[in-house]
Parts: sequence; C-alpha cells; structure tokens
Amino acid sequence: MSIEYVPTICPYCSCGCGIHLVVKDGRIIGQEPWKEHPVNEGSNCPKGKNAYHYIYSKDRLKMPLVRKNGELQETSWEEALDLVASKLKEATPEDFGFIASCRSSNEDAYVMQKFTRVVVGTNNVEYCGRLCHSPAATALIPAMGSGAMQTSQPEIELADCFFLAGVNINETFPMVMRRVLRAKARGAKVIYTDPRKTATARYLADIHLQLRSGTDAALIDAMMRIILDEGLEDKEFIASKTAGFDELRDSLSKVDLKEAEKITGVPLEKIREAAITYAKAERGCILYDQGISQHYVGTDNVRNHANLALLCGHAGKPGSGINSMRGQINGEGGGDMGCLCVFYPGFKRVDEESAKFFEEAWGVTNLPTKPGFTYIDMLYKCPYLYIVGADPMMVVPDVNNLKKALEKANFIVVQDIFPTEISKLAHVVLPAATWVEREATHTWIDRRVQKINKVVDPPGEAKPDWWIICQLAERMGYKDKFNFTSSGDIFEEVRSCVPQYKGITYERLAKTIGGIHWPCPAEDHPGTPTMFLEKFGTPDGLGHFQAVEYKPPAEVPDEEYPYFLTTGRSIFHYHTGAMTRRTPKLNDEISQGFVEVNPEDANKVGVKDKDVVTLKTRRGSIEAEAKVTDEVPPGLLFVPLHFPDSCANVLTISALDPSAKCAETKVCAANMEVKR
Amino acid sequence: MKGDMHIARSSDKEILEKAEHGGAVTSLLKFALEGKRVDAVLAVKARDGDRYDGIPVLITNPEEIIETTGSLHCTSPNIARFLTEYLDGASNLKIAVVVKPCDAKAIIELAKRTQINLDNLLLIGLNCTGTLPSAKAKTMMKEEFEVDPTDVVAEDIEDNKLTIRLNDGTEKEKGLAELEGRGYGRRENCRRCETNIPVMADIACGKWGATDKKTTFIEVCSEKGADFISAAIEAGHITVEQPSSDAIETRKKKDEAARELAQQWQEKDFASFKEMSADERFNYWFDQFSHCIKCYGCRDACPICYCKDCYLEADRGLVAAGEVPPSIMFPMIRATHVMDSCVNCGQCQDVCPMELPLSRLIFMLNRELAGIFNYEPGMDINALPPLRTVTDAELAVEGVELTL
Repeated sequence: MSIEYVPTICPYCSCGCGIHLVVKDGRIIGQEPWKEHPVNEGSNCPKGKNAYHYIYSKDRLKMPLVRKNGELQETSWEEALDLVASKLKEATPEDFGFIASCRSSNEDAYVMQKFTRVVVGTNNVEYCGRLCHSPAATALIPAMGSGAMQTSQPEIELADCFFLAGVNINETFPMVMRRVLRAKARGAKVIYTDPRKTATARYLADIHLQLRSGTDAALIDAMMRIILDEGLEDKEFIASKTAGFDELRDSLSKVDLKEAEKITGVPLEKIREAAITYAKAERGCILYDQGISQHYVGTDNVRNHANLALLCGHAGKPGSGINSMRGQINGEGGGDMGCLCVFYPGFKRVDEESAKFFEEAWGVTNLPTKPGFTYIDMLYKCPYLYIVGADPMMVVPDVNNLKKALEKANFIVVQDIFPTEISKLAHVVLPAATWVEREATHTWIDRRVQKINKVVDPPGEAKPDWWIICQLAERMGYKDKFNFTSSGDIFEEVRSCVPQYKGITYERLAKTIGGIHWPCPAEDHPGTPTMFLEKFGTPDGLGHFQAVEYKPPAEVPDEEYPYFLTTGRSIFHYHTGAMTRRTPKLNDEISQGFVEVNPEDANKVGVKDKDVVTLKTRRGSIEAEAKVTDEVPPGLLFVPLHFPDSCANVLTISALDPSAKCAETKVCAANMEVKR
Repeated sequence: MKGDMHIARSSDKEILEKAEHGGAVTSLLKFALEGKRVDAVLAVKARDGDRYDGIPVLITNPEEIIETTGSLHCTSPNIARFLTEYLDGASNLKIAVVVKPCDAKAIIELAKRTQINLDNLLLIGLNCTGTLPSAKAKTMMKEEFEVDPTDVVAEDIEDNKLTIRLNDGTEKEKGLAELEGRGYGRRENCRRCETNIPVMADIACGKWGATDKKTTFIEVCSEKGADFISAAIEAGHITVEQPSSDAIETRKKKDEAARELAQQWQEKDFASFKEMSADERFNYWFDQFSHCIKCYGCRDACPICYCKDCYLEADRGLVAAGEVPPSIMFPMIRATHVMDSCVNCGQCQDVCPMELPLSRLIFMLNRELAGIFNYEPGMDINALPPLRTVTDAELAVEGVELTL
C-alpha cells in the first residue's frame, strides 16, 4: 500500500499555488498543503483546496465524437482525425480559424500556433487572452515595452500603496490579497476602483472609489490633474525615464475636475485623497484586471493607468509598476507562445521579418506575413473553426447572435475535457488530457514558468492537446515538422526560438520550487522577478505617456433599459464554471446563476430576495435568482459568468476596442422584471 | 517498566554512522518491522531529499527506515491528519508512529473521539523544541545565514540557538531570539509550546541527557513502551546503559529552561489580546475574520475538528452558502467546538491564506479553559474533553439536565 504526496501546482487561476496531491494506487485520493511553495506557503483558496475533483467527473470526454445525423457519436481516433484532416484540407487559409486555450500548456500552445501557421498557412490563431488582456499588449507595449505583469507576487509585499483597478482581489486573487494584507500590516494603503462594494471594498480598501461603470479613464485623468496641480508628480523620473510628458500635461490641462466628479460619480475629495496618497507613496503598485480592461475603451483605460504610474515614478522597481493580472493557468504562456494573430512566439510582431525568422527556425517556407483575424472576428468570418479548451458560447458578448453565425459554419472542431456550450455546435469533439494527466509547463501571472508532472493517466482515449495536433499535422503531410515524441521535445524547440525562455529547462524547473520568471536568457541566469529595473522595454528604453480622451460607455441606461449591467466572478467558481460546477464542495456554495440587485431598486419593482427575475437587454434575455444586496449601488445589476442556464453574455454588447478587440462585457444597459 | 530511563545506542554500524544522536529511534523502528510488532511505520521523510518538504511516509520494508534517520526542523507535516484521513485511523493496521509532542497529543485527542484506534499504535515520541515554517526557513537561510538552502544537511536547536550544518561540513549558528525578533525562526505555536518531552507517547527519545552525539536518551512512558524496549534490547537492535543522575538532572534542567522560554512567549503572544477591552476585542476579531475566504483550511488541518459531516459545510444550511467572508459564526463555531482540546499544533495558522492568528486565539482560549476545568489536552487518554463531558457534580446542580 503506497500513499504518496506528490507536489504540483493548482490548475485554476494564474497565481500558481503549490499543493500536494495524495496518490494511492495510481489514483488521487486527496490533497494536502505544500508549505514550502513560495507563492502560497501551504495555504489555498477554496478552488485550490478542491483542485483535483474535476478530473474525475463522470462528464469527462473520453472518446472522439463525430456528429452523425445530428448526434455526436463515439468513434476512433483514426476516424475522427482522418475526417478533421480531410475537412481542413478543403479550407483556404483565410477561411480557417484556430482558437487555442488559456489552459493548455506552453507546449500545447506552441504546437497549435505552429500548426496554424505552417500547416494551414494563416495567422488566424488566437486564444482567449484576446478577450481579457489584449489591452495589456496594445497599451503597455507602447508605454513600457511589455504587457506582462511587471513585478512578482512575493515582491508585491514591498509596496506602500496599492491601486487596485477593477480587480476584486478578495474573490479573484486571494493569494495576492495575502500579500496586500502583509503590506497593510506595515502601513500600506489600498485604493480600489469598482462600481460595486465588493468584499475588497468593504474589508481591504482604505479608499473605495465607487465609480460609475465605464468611467475609469475620466477618473484617472482627474487624479493626474490633481497630482500635477499639487506638484506631486515625480519630476526627476519624468525627466530622465519618460517621453511624451508635454502632450499629457496639455491634455490634462483641459480636465475639468467638477465635470470629472459628475462623470465618475465619485466625490472630488475622495478622488483627491486617492491621488495624493498614490502620488506621495514610495512604491505605488497598480494591480488591474477586467474592471478596466473589458471595455471598448480598454486600451485607453490601461494607457491612462500606465500614465498614472509613470507620472508618479511608480514603475521599474520591485513591488511597483502597472500589473495586468491574468486569470488562467496559462494566460501568460498562451500569449508567450504566439497564439495571437499579431504575434509570432516570443512577441515577435507578425510581419516579413518575423516570418523569415521562423522560416529559418522551423525549416519551412511561406509563413504568413499579415496579421490574422482576432478571436471574435474569426468566429464570425471563418467557416472552418478549431477551438481548444474555450467556450465562445459562454464568453463572447451577444451570444445569441454568435450562435446564428456558428450554426452556418462548415466545420467546427472542439477539443476539450468536458462537453461545453460550443461543443453542442461542433461537428467533431475530441477528448483532451488535462493538468496532471500530462507533463507540461505553464506560465503563471508573474511570468513564472513552472512544470507540472504527470501523475495519473487521462480517462478513456483522451490525449494531450499537442499530441492531437501533431497527429493532424502528420495526416496533412507535415510529420517532419511535428516530430515531437514528448512535451520535452517541444519545450526544447520553444527554448530555441523564444529568447525569453532560452535559459529555462525541464531540469532547472525540477530543481526550482516556485519556478523561474522570464526573461531568462541563459541557463545560469536566475530569471527576472521584476522587469524594467534598468530601463523600459521600449526601443528607446523610456516610458511613454499616451494621453487618452474619455469616452462614455457604448450603451448607457435609458427609459427602456434603465439599469447598468455588469458581469464578473464569484470566488467559488471559475470562469465558465466547467470545472467548478463539477466540484461538489464549490458547487454547493453557489449552484445557479444570480443577479445582484440593490434594495432600493428591488423595492421599486417589487423584487424580493430569491425571486426569479428576467433580465433583458437589446441582445437577449435570461433568468436569474435575485440577490438583494447593497454590494451593488442603485442603478447597477451584477451577473456572474459561471452558469450556462443564466448566461451573462446573452445580455452583453459586442462593442469592441478598436485596437485590442476585446469586448465591453463590463457595461451595458438592461431591464429587470420579476418572472411571473 | 514505565518511568525507566536509558542511554541507548543503535547496534547497527550503518545506522550509528548516519544518525544524529545514536540512531536508537531508527533501530527501534527497524525492529518494530522486523520483529513484526507492527504492520507499518509512519515516519517523516524529506521528499526527494528536500529538507523543507517533510512528507509522511508509510514504510513496510525495514531497509527503508534508514532513509528517515535524523530530524527535519524546517517542515511541519500534519501526522494526525494523515492517520485519520488516509489510514482510517489505524482501525485495522498496527502502526509505529514517530511523533513530536504535538503529534502525540493530537492523536490522543482523536483517540478520545474514537477517530483513531490507539491500541493499534506504538507512539515513538521525539523531544521537540520547535520546527520552522518551510518557505520562510528557506528565505532565512538565504538572508540570515547567507547560504543556499539546499546546502543545509542538518539543523539543530539547542539553548535557544539555531545551528545549521552544510554539506561541506561547516556549521553556522544564530540566536533564536535574534532570528525570531526579525520574523524568522520557529513557528509561532512552537515558541510558546511547553511540551518538549512527549511523555504522553509510549517512549520519549531525544538528545537531552544523552552522553554524547552517539547516544539517545530514552524515557519509557507506558507499559507498551516498556515491553517494546525490552524486546528491542533482547533482539539486539539497541544497547542501553543506565543514565547518571547528572544526565537526568541535565535533561530536567534543559526541559525547564525551554518551558520557561515558552511561557514567556505565551505571555507575549497573548498580551495584546488580554490588554484589549471587550469592545476592542470584538472589533479586532470581526476585522480579522472579515478576511476569511472560507477555504476550510483550518477545519481540515485541525485534529480536534473531526466531524465527518461538518456543520459548517455549505450544504448544511447553518452558515449561509456562497458568501465571502462567511458569517462570523464560521470561525466562532469552530473555535468554541475545539477550544477545550486545542493542542497548540499550529496547523490551522500554518495554512490560513490570510494568516489569521487562529492558533494564537484558540490556544489562548484553551489555556483559560485548562485552568477552569483542570484539563490538559492530549496527555491522558482517560481524561475526557470538558465541553462534551458531564460530571456527576455538574449533573447535581439545579437546573442542569442531560438529554440524550
């Protein structure tokens, strides 16, 4: 009888917490704290404490499925892969779109983009990072040289002032909250922007800027104007480390503070307090997430927060900077590996030069040189779709409209671990291995690369994502370019053409608990916890100000749709809920969709707590159970995105950021009535 | 017999060489298996040689015992939990368990609650003056000792000093008071723990009173322990000598000194709470528990929290489901249910994501109750927990009823 504690990393968010799996006779029977791990030191959030249950769900996809006569039927890998290969051979490059997963490994992601570019010949490869953190790239690459998190989780503790912008860390990043609490114990102040009075607002924030949805850019403009008026900008930093200040100052001279107060709904004294607190800090740390990113002005929002950081000299120091908070186990890695229509691996922009580089690296010719379609465009424009570990039918705005488009697709392949909303529309469904069912590396939020070892076999015929893609590549005549026999083979190739990963090896990862932060250019390089210590990653090494113009939300309340609607998360569930709804202890906490309604609003329309209400927008309607709470202010409704039966994105508006192409899922106009 | 004391030494050359203090424990464990006194040994091993990740291991092959020789100070695995969660409380397996005093106390409390079959266990106790938190210990090695944590091959705590030995043979020493003043050193609960010698186990083994680094001091603490030692001696696994009265006295003095230090820490730890007014305390604890994220880490880790069907689960309807922070009743119910028997193992506080001072609170409450009920958790299997035991005297009080 052998009972073994096997260390691994939690499969959920992007913090990268260590856990011990308890394995007996080849089966995971429990989990225990792994106190040595530097990220979480033996603690875990509710999801992390229930990490492994989802892999044993009876719903796991075990066999390849092909739709015959309207029904998905089990078949062999041979039949399924032959069918997919033959169908893909029909497609012209522009007609094909690949959506990779934020939850696949680096090895999987690398193979997926290589397949799309080498075998199909298009840059139509994206991953779900497009929907959430594309503004990090469009705003922060010009501003500072990279959209990745700038400092590391342990170093967050060094900050003496936190600016939590649109990120409810109490529920979405508890491990980061742990760091913030440590800093608070040493006197750090916490400023928090969110239209809702979440747990973060009530129990963590010293200053809660409860702004009106979608007014973040105006708020930051006001803060920066105040900072300049008070003379609190970091003059030395601005002079020596930045460019474009004059244009920003000009732009800010037009800011009317009284107007800003009206627009944002935040009292001016509070804006002032926040501005002065942040500016006067030694080491200000901006942590931001979807609250400012998922807007049609997401890029502008992030630009403005970057401006704020540069204005006050809060960048290029450990525990400082403007930090995008990715939410998935490979949110960072998927982008690093090039699953974006505008980037080859390692963030080399799609153009002739990069194509040439990879033609040499891969021993191929004719790599595509023009940017491909972005995620949402792809779904509407490509009749041949390959979707791995993603559920557009849950996460893309205006889902009803998307469904109409997808129903017209020629061929949809879905590769996943569970049946999902999108798999209902698929022609072929392929069963994938997950997490500890394969050997893999992932890259967590602070560019932390860690290795996951295989602990158990995948169920039935399920296979690692990369294996499936390689099988297809072989059937399409490219066996020699996809001759990988293990994930180790793939990682070696990654190292050879992605300079940020060059110094990271499986061997080093096995010996380094907590992983290695990229950039890691050489095998004796320790990795880079904080970026930009000497200079920024821009061509001139300077931080660049980018003045923005405030634009109100794409759709605001009116008589017909009198409420703001916003969407978000609960601590107990994870994104589309596929994993957590199948984890009993988590699902027992919240098992169905709900809508937060302010007591005043509830009173006005006769809604009581637990009443089923119908929520309607110009896009569609859903039902949800009312949760009457002052967590939302009057005029705002909140719906989580975890439940297919109350799918938040039936309601949301497909207004896209023009450069980032993420959507305005955080604000639209809705009405509500009690379901009779 | 119970109370006997020995200076012991392993009879095995290989064990004697590898051991830190005479190898008696290693030999005894080997004997436990070879002599078929138990089915398995439950000990702690450095996972893959990692001294900061001591994991419980169930060993049935006597040849593997030597891999667990020595003490790992920079790790704190939850042995009592391993027994109940994965070995069915030793219901049908005879196990020799290597236990620090807190492990032994936790096991005895669980046995009182019929979660562990104490008859099936042979508790091999080890003296302990504290362990260090794993992740922080590694930082300490880098920052304070200026060594690579993986170069450390042994640690020793003695006379309030921490000494480490590196793989090249060099040793470095630092005062624990200095380290602990800077946030390093031992786990908080260890610092205030007065139980250094596990007399509640079947035997208590350690270096205090040992003649030199090639001997182990053993105190026999039960008849089961006495039988076991006699048999081990007879089977030629260890040799023993009578300790001198000086040795016994030295050991007593070391224990007293350690206990005094622990009492000082206890006072220090609880001082800020005791100084607060009732209002201040309310505010403090409501504020602390407002950070709880309902991970159930404390509940899972606590040896006294043994209910299979926990009252605090989301599907029980007592604490509202889906809320973070959970109602204050969550930590309050847990505290009131376990406080009469808290053994100060610190496992709860180790795993709290928000670093709430759980062990500090609950052990403080326990010290109050210990005085009121004259009850020391984990010492005597026959002393029943006061909050679930009704005495005849209590039943005789007017207005007291017992409904079963």
